[in-house]
Amino acid sequence: MMRYLLRRLAHSFLLVFGVSVLAFLFTALAPGNYFDEMRLNPQIAPETLVALRAQYELDRPLPLRYASWLNSVLHGQMGFSFAYNSPVAPLLLARAKNTLLLTVTATLLAWALALPLGVWSAERLGRLPDRVISWGTATLLVIPDLALALGLLVLAVRTHRFPTGGMVSLDFDSLTASGKIRDLVAHMALPVAALILSALPLLVRHVRAAVAEVLHAPFLLAAEGHGIPRFTLLFRYALPAAANPLLSLFGFSIGALLSGSLLIEVVMSWPGLGPFLLEAILARDIYVVIGGVLFSTIFLAAGNFLADMLLYWLDPRIRTESASR
Amino acid sequence: MIRRRKLAIWLLILGVLHAIVLCAGFFAPYNPVEQDRKNPYLPPMRVHFVDTHNHLHLRPFVYAFQLRPGTFDQYVEDTTRQIPLHFFIAGAPYRLLGFLPARIHLFGAGDERIYLLGTDAFGRDQLSRLLFGGQVSLLAGLLGAGFTLLIGWCIGAVAGYFGGWQDDVLMRLAELFLALPWLYLLFAVRAFLPLSVNPLQAFFLIVAVIGAVGWARPARLVRGIVLSAKERDFVRAARGFGASNIYLLRRHILPETSSVLLTQAAILIPQYVLAEMTLSFLGLGVPEPVPSWGNLLSNLQQYSVLVSYWWTYLPALAMVPFFLGYLGLASALQERADPYKIERRSLGNLA
Amino acid sequence: MRNCPATVARCRILVRLFLSFSALICSPAFAQAQQNNSHEELLQIPGEIGRPGGRLVVSLRGEPKTLNPLIAADARSREVIGVMQADLIHINRATQLTEPALAKSWKISPDGLIYTLVLRKGLKFSDGQPMDADDVLFSFRVYLDENTHAPQRDLLIVGGKPIAVSKIDSQTIAFQLSKPYGVGERLFDGLAILPRHLLEKPFQEGKLGQIGSLNAAANQWAGLGPFRLKEYVAGQRLVLERNPYYWKSDAKINRLPYLDELVFLFVPNADAQVLKFQSGETDMISQLGAENFSVLSRQQNGYTVADAGPGLEYNFLFFNLNDLGEKPSADLQRKQKWFREVKFRQAVSAAVDREAIVRLVYQGRGTPLWGLVTPGNKRWNDANLPHPVRSLDRARALLKEAGFSWATGPNGESTLQDSDGKPVEFSILTSSTNADRSKMAALLQDDLKQLGMRVQVVPMEFRSLLDRVTQSKEYDACIMGVASYDADPNSDINVWLSSGGTHLWNPSQPHPSTPWEAEIDRLVEDQMSARTFDQRKKLYDRAQEILAENQPMIFLASPDILAGAKNSVGNFHPAVLEPYVLWNVEQLYLKNGRESPAR
Repeated sequence: MMRYLLRRLAHSFLLVFGVSVLAFLFTALAPGNYFDEMRLNPQIAPETLVALRAQYELDRPLPLRYASWLNSVLHGQMGFSFAYNSPVAPLLLARAKNTLLLTVTATLLAWALALPLGVWSAERLGRLPDRVISWGTATLLVIPDLALALGLLVLAVRTHRFPTGGMVSLDFDSLTASGKIRDLVAHMALPVAALILSALPLLVRHVRAAVAEVLHAPFLLAAEGHGIPRFTLLFRYALPAAANPLLSLFGFSIGALLSGSLLIEVVMSWPGLGPFLLEAILARDIYVVIGGVLFSTIFLAAGNFLADMLLYWLDPRIRTESASR
Repeated sequence: MIRRRKLAIWLLILGVLHAIVLCAGFFAPYNPVEQDRKNPYLPPMRVHFVDTHNHLHLRPFVYAFQLRPGTFDQYVEDTTRQIPLHFFIAGAPYRLLGFLPARIHLFGAGDERIYLLGTDAFGRDQLSRLLFGGQVSLLAGLLGAGFTLLIGWCIGAVAGYFGGWQDDVLMRLAELFLALPWLYLLFAVRAFLPLSVNPLQAFFLIVAVIGAVGWARPARLVRGIVLSAKERDFVRAARGFGASNIYLLRRHILPETSSVLLTQAAILIPQYVLAEMTLSFLGLGVPEPVPSWGNLLSNLQQYSVLVSYWWTYLPALAMVPFFLGYLGLASALQERADPYKIERRSLGNLA
Repeated sequence: MRNCPATVARCRILVRLFLSFSALICSPAFAQAQQNNSHEELLQIPGEIGRPGGRLVVSLRGEPKTLNPLIAADARSREVIGVMQADLIHINRATQLTEPALAKSWKISPDGLIYTLVLRKGLKFSDGQPMDADDVLFSFRVYLDENTHAPQRDLLIVGGKPIAVSKIDSQTIAFQLSKPYGVGERLFDGLAILPRHLLEKPFQEGKLGQIGSLNAAANQWAGLGPFRLKEYVAGQRLVLERNPYYWKSDAKINRLPYLDELVFLFVPNADAQVLKFQSGETDMISQLGAENFSVLSRQQNGYTVADAGPGLEYNFLFFNLNDLGEKPSADLQRKQKWFREVKFRQAVSAAVDREAIVRLVYQGRGTPLWGLVTPGNKRWNDANLPHPVRSLDRARALLKEAGFSWATGPNGESTLQDSDGKPVEFSILTSSTNADRSKMAALLQDDLKQLGMRVQVVPMEFRSLLDRVTQSKEYDACIMGVASYDADPNSDINVWLSSGGTHLWNPSQPHPSTPWEAEIDRLVEDQMSARTFDQRKKLYDRAQEILAENQPMIFLASPDILAGAKNSVGNFHPAVLEPYVLWNVEQLYLKNGRESPAR
């Protein structure tokens, strides 16, 4: 077990390293660099641009740039942002906290909603509740994320009940502790709702499919015959048996904690990684982008690792396999 | 019995819907790229049978729209001008199924223009764009989803079945694929493609690339199922009887994965159809003036359109039956492949 | 002491002087001036008198990256820096003419080479430190420093040589140019005077780039603008507070600005900005698109939206006229043969439906353009420039004269062919993130279809597009838009000059490749050193006419400047020059005074 853990850790390390190399390569492939936008500024001469590029070492060969970037990672700085003229790591960390606040809440709530909805749908397969949920899923699939977020904002403006974006009000610092919590929750309501609605179709359909498959199993018939109540049957017998694909999906949910909310954060002006990374991507602030990619990779590796551990723990069939090796 | 009929119903529904989209030239009254610059953002024309003098007309008609003076996009029905609908009328030439030249359209109004679903910012008929747009989008969705599922299935099966180092390597490769910033690669691909490449072909190339790159999630799902399935008793028994790996995979293990794959397919197709919207934001989408469901819906991403022109929601409503059809088909196929195969009648309260 | 009449007279004069002096001291005007610090010379500006107090909230479409003008490369940072810094001579955004700012007066030598500026007395930075000519000297030294690579450096190189700055006394500075410069004192607009007491040490240590970060403590940065830094929350907002040492006052000698606080909220999405304004969370909105303007103008409850008229942005189509030597493919060579034919470009221009562009892209809130200078630039607009009406017949006649012909295709549509029988097909690049220009491209595509040309619209991410147009030069045609930052034609000098980097259809030429480009170069150089406005206008008009005859840029349309503010905001007068609504931020006030809507 310990050996497996260590092996996975080593692999994840290699993964992060590999991603950094490839990400560097990719960003170098795309044409253009940060200073290109200044090309269109009639005030700035091309010679200044050349000088700026040299100053920020953009004209050095790729391996040298990678080496100096690696060096800065080891010093905890993760490269230098051209736009902000400061190290990348503090910029990313400040915003990552805000993103996590949003996505962790949304992921937990989405799963909490998807499980009962999917189980109910599977139980009443083909009948009205299942049909209604299917229609709901199909409709949600059709609505683009951005339109959903905008629609919620319009709702906020029309009903005056929710703030139109942002994380806290202007007077946040002067509120009491409970006032602060209420303010934060009010601001989180819409982005979290948008995230949940966009994640639900996938989760509900998979829960439904997995549970529907298991519902016909003999052991459930037997358990029903024993008189075990329906709720226990569904959630303590059927769901764990159906858990295999769901655990992998849960691993993906963890993996997407940093990257899944990009568009919604932009529309809702939530001060997370979303707007920051999007601007950096379009502006070719490459070290910021690579830093963001690395953060997301860490979450991805952690999520898949967690899913594998849970799979191993919950599904005895996999355990026998490794025991027999 | 019930299962087979359900499958047949869904196949029929999907078949009809796809046939309408395939024969878009016939069902659509106009060429989807024709602009009508005097009528931008025209609301849908209502079909009437009874006119303002309470006369019943056997032939349905619509009223022409007048621009309200002083505004840019506010129209009023002009009850003095009736435009009758004609059926099976000759209109703009098109090619049925791509090669048969034809001129007959299901309905039309001769020299006048009728807009049953309104127009867009350039005055193009939304109904025609919806029908023709389905051709591009459905193809992109099926192509992309097909690639993803095929590659994901194979890799997931290999990783789950053989386990050990193959599993490790393939799953880390999957994580690598998920983690990389493909965006820049896509920028590079688009930037390096010569401009003479037909942008529509470039779009399909991008979709194929995205499809080929997105195999990681289905692969992990399949791998999880295969890991668990290969230790089942009946598999061990078959192996004891001397079954080869290929036989085991084909006959016993891979059918276990059908549920997950079908669910993924039903979700992926709509996602790829709509992924085109993000692609066009980055300059990689379907180019003007070709219509696609993605670029019809992308209008909804603007606040002004969201609140002013309600008929731009209609394409989304038209897509719901398609996606519902895919979900239903996937569900029906899953029921058919049910491994437990116990008649539903005897299940009592559970189903 | 002998009673000499001269001495007595002198004594009388002295006594009179003493009496009048004491009377002066006791007079109320002097008392008030005393309140404002007896040696301070405030600039009194006309305009509506407002009430002091309150907080104004505006949204910024993104985050500012730095407060340091020397490294600010993006528009958001410049917007914020604009309200925290001040310049010597300022261009009034409403009148588009220069007016005194930190310099209370200036003189230009008869040969036009030396500008002598006199500073106001008693000025202080926002941290209370005094400001004098040494700060001005230091600022220009830093701007011109070759190792700092400040974006302002190239502005200060006139006639190939940097401007020489010298101090005459503690209130007077002389600027020496190597050539007369028609732009004149407009040159000084936007060049912030930096605090020497904070920046000199970092400059000597070579660490200037690290100063002025938003995270720095408020007391480590200072400026001469109406506001100073109070608080910065990463990703969310920037809060500025009133600069108590600001050097402007209103007509009643109340020190400006009226507002206590100015808050910038970071809202990256344009639609979200509109929604925030509608819900009342922000007090002003600028850079509105035409569609959002229509939505806002439909129900103006509590706010007003205003159309300030045509701005300075010009959108245009241009063809690849680069001299590519041996490199280009046969395909591109063939296309360039068409593009180089003047009648081809004139035909394209004749076929463009500019009225449809204004109506469909800008919802009527724009003007069609036939030249680089928009009608929003009243002083420099050439009224005699021809505005030919759209005519497909004229376009076809021009094409026929140029040797093109039409053939009927298999589906019955006619295709344009060149003299070799090859069909005319090309692609137009456009930025994928700019919705307006993508729409213009779609309209152009349809217009040119009527001439039988098959045009593909290729949306491309902006930097990849820039790379193609300015570096690899592998493209056919492109639609671009440029917003001049000043009404003076010199702000677009690099578009006019054939050696300029933004002479997009054939940038950075070693020498002009066509006679008309050479002519334009001459005219533009002459008007740069011409001394009177009339001289410059004549030369500049002729340059515009040459451009119109040869159509290297086919001008399309220009949008109006649209903005909005709550009814409680006073002195709201949007201008067509940047910054559109904050140019008079020191005069903005809240009509409810201190009971400002604090949400």
